[in-house]
Amino acid sequence: MVVYSFYIFDRHAECIYKRRWLPRPVSITSKSSRPASDLSIQSAGGSPAVFGESARTTDDDAKLIFGTVFSLRNMARKLGGEDDNFVSYRTNQYKLHYFETPTNIKFVMLTDLKSPSMRLALEQIYINLYVEYVVKNPLSPVEHPGGVGVNNELFEESLEQFVTRVLT
Amino acid sequence: MYVSTVYSLIIINKAGGLVYQREFHSGLHKLSTNDYLVLAGTFHGVHAITRSITPRLPLASTATNPTTASHSATASLSVTSPSSTTTPTTPTPTASNNPTANTPSSTYSFPNPSVPASGLEFLETDKFRLTCFQTQTGTKFLLFTDPFMANIDVVMKKIYELYADFVMKNPFYQLEMPVRCESFDRHLGSWLRGRI
Repeated sequence: MVVYSFYIFDRHAECIYKRRWLPRPVSITSKSSRPASDLSIQSAGGSPAVFGESARTTDDDAKLIFGTVFSLRNMARKLGGEDDNFVSYRTNQYKLHYFETPTNIKFVMLTDLKSPSMRLALEQIYINLYVEYVVKNPLSPVEHPGGVGVNNELFEESLEQFVTRVLT
Repeated sequence: MYVSTVYSLIIINKAGGLVYQREFHSGLHKLSTNDYLVLAGTFHGVHAITRSITPRLPLASTATNPTTASHSATASLSVTSPSSTTTPTTPTPTASNNPTANTPSSTYSFPNPSVPASGLEFLETDKFRLTCFQTQTGTKFLLFTDPFMANIDVVMKKIYELYADFVMKNPFYQLEMPVRCESFDRHLGSWLRGRI
């Protein structure tokens, strides 16, 4: 089983934590730090359509994922009733798992097709990692604009361990 | 023992418009016609987005398309080290040290490279399961079923067959317009009833 990425969205629709286990091409991550190389990519990137595809940053991905899960969750609620929960969807390439807490914090995980339902795993991440290391941290703010308070060492390390050891 | 409950069927044309909606079993909430139109449009958009957020796995840098690689190598060299005298056609060690030289847009692959990325195919919630089948021409069939129903693809295939026979072969049917074909309704209803 392969986990591709993991996102947490707060109740203000902001992505407060994102983590991907298989990195994107370097050009995207080095975009801000190397304006010169960014320029060269732009002049070199063959057809504009192809360039547009590759230039999408991880930020944009998080927004697209939020939009997707938000729409699908609303669709599920509309058709199945208020107590229905959107659990997961899959395409022929990947699977997306979704878990929402009663406080509207959304946990999203993208995995390969072979993975079983990750709902319990996401719940475990919420209960054992998020609540323990983020919510119970006295130095962490109540809200997490820009990921402040979530990106602490304990949380990140234990998430890493959980995904690499428990899930694979 | 499996339950074979098909709640409803929705057909969306290639532009995202709702062309057919029919309920077979109650179980899901009823929406107004307007809400179904909104749902069809929203799903059409979400379907396209789910395809575009497919994870991209970076490939080894050497396995790139040679023309693109040398092209970007030249361009980045000219920006980062204008004094360099390297010939543009051969990617040099200098070029591979530069992160941008290795990353033209073709250096990724999808998790399952043998097939083109599709959009959402199955969606699961606590109460129902949505199966989406997109034809070659972009028409989408959405089938809402019980979450534990088996052999959904058989049902989907039959529905597509009935659609081809009674909608597409109907000389009075206008493409992309709402489906109002009595024979399609009739055959669909009797076939699904026959299964249960």
